[in-house]
Amino acid sequence: MTDRNPMKDQVAIVGLGSTGFSREGGASSLSMALAAATEAITDAGLTAADIDGIVATNEPGASGPEAIAAGLGITEATHHTKPTPVAVFSLLDAARAVFTGAADHVLVVTPVVMGPWNSRRAAADPWRRGARSGILPVPEDATMAAAYAAWASRYIHEFGATKDPFARVAINSRTNAAANPLAAVDTPLSFGAYEAARMIREPLNIYDMDLPVDGADAFVLTSAERARSLPHTPVLIHAATSGIVGKNDEDQLDGLHRTGQHVVVDQLRRTSDIWIDDIDLFYPYEGFTIITLTWFENCGFCPPGEAERFLREHWNDDAQRIEIHGRIPVNTHGGSLSEGATRGTGHLREAVHQLRGTAGARQVDGARAALVTPGGFFFNPQGAVLRTAT
Amino acid sequence: MNGNSEETDEETDDVLIARFAGNGITRDSADHFRGRLDRRLLMARCADCGRWQHPPRPMCPACWSWNMTMDEVSGRGTIHLLMVLHQGPPATGVDYSTGHPVVTVELEEQRALRFTSTVSDDFPAEDLAIGTAVEVEWIERDGTPMPVFRKAAS
Repeated sequence: MTDRNPMKDQVAIVGLGSTGFSREGGASSLSMALAAATEAITDAGLTAADIDGIVATNEPGASGPEAIAAGLGITEATHHTKPTPVAVFSLLDAARAVFTGAADHVLVVTPVVMGPWNSRRAAADPWRRGARSGILPVPEDATMAAAYAAWASRYIHEFGATKDPFARVAINSRTNAAANPLAAVDTPLSFGAYEAARMIREPLNIYDMDLPVDGADAFVLTSAERARSLPHTPVLIHAATSGIVGKNDEDQLDGLHRTGQHVVVDQLRRTSDIWIDDIDLFYPYEGFTIITLTWFENCGFCPPGEAERFLREHWNDDAQRIEIHGRIPVNTHGGSLSEGATRGTGHLREAVHQLRGTAGARQVDGARAALVTPGGFFFNPQGAVLRTAT
Repeated sequence: MNGNSEETDEETDDVLIARFAGNGITRDSADHFRGRLDRRLLMARCADCGRWQHPPRPMCPACWSWNMTMDEVSGRGTIHLLMVLHQGPPATGVDYSTGHPVVTVELEEQRALRFTSTVSDDFPAEDLAIGTAVEVEWIERDGTPMPVFRKAAS
């Protein structure tokens, strides 16, 4: 098994920074990136002079590694890239740079900004109104975000599901967000409010989808060896991967029985010594609630189509949240439904906070291992198993 | 019919691009949209192995043949995916206040060969469901032919 994953436990996340997330607007993508980056580098006990790798993100409006390097006063860098947004793409790129010796201390910085296509505030902002989105301007389109509503209908049809498990994913996130000062929305959600909610793309309503926000996360990675002399408990990347099926055009996908999520799970099971019976925390992406239901099923918590039963059985009614076997909380930070559309960086950041013991009021005692699964069905499914060194 | 032909008429392409800009038309999908102007639903098909693919791409992923053609499909199939939009981009004749259906239809020609559009104005509400048999019908939006789906004649 080890030869399949020589990078296992060799690279650590040692610094975290975040601006928090809001719908207020008014800051530039670069200013948020620099704010998160300086916090992460300081948190790691390092300075700009130590950073020799920069992983930026190919997010609309985001600065490239060159502008980040110039803006932070980095001396020189030997790894500088701009991968596709979604958290594990960046994490893997940085980890591989550390593991191969391309750089010693790699900064990952992932700003997101609201655009004129998804925010009235951004459309009224003269500095943003010219930005373009990749979204097609015809209504009859089942790609990108719309594809999740389309496949949610198929899931409901194939399995005879109700909206109950969708509601539980949304309520779980909002319950957990109450203790997260970084969240854009932190008020609790009731079943009644969920059922009464405005439909956006039926069968999905406004609580089934994340919200556009401004903000940035940043991470610092280094070798597990160097991590031992830095201030925080190192969080090791035990296994990580992305995965797609070849036929992945959103409306042409063969079916929910084999998506990139299955590819990710198969690869993680080949490369990880830790699986769902061993984890203390689970961070399935919930930018659309349907994604979370299939992550539960595809990771093996329950068979296909049985997320409804599973979530009902593993629901803490007093706390109004999911607790797997009464033990494993899910999306302890409130997920993307509360922090907003951060493309899984919040899930990753929160897992690191929990594992190193800096999650504040949300801290889960004794958490040693976490499974983080950002991404959806088509072009960005991914997963990571994180653990502490001991 | 090859979208990569050197002999494409620049002016015709400009007109085509202008009419279908909102549909994400590319060089590789141009002939599909040319077919729409003639009210024919054309989809990419390998002339060697017969496999269809959508959206159109220049090579057959099944046999790696470059001998791709555009063939007309029957337009018959079943609703495979369904959503009702209550907000979305503005479009002529689309009223989100009553909900705008978007269907992805699995065509009878090949498993998982699908086309996404809306349904005809007179589509029976009780039949707007996954599994309903449908067939293509042509309407116009802003003067350009557009394929939509009506309930199949039984």
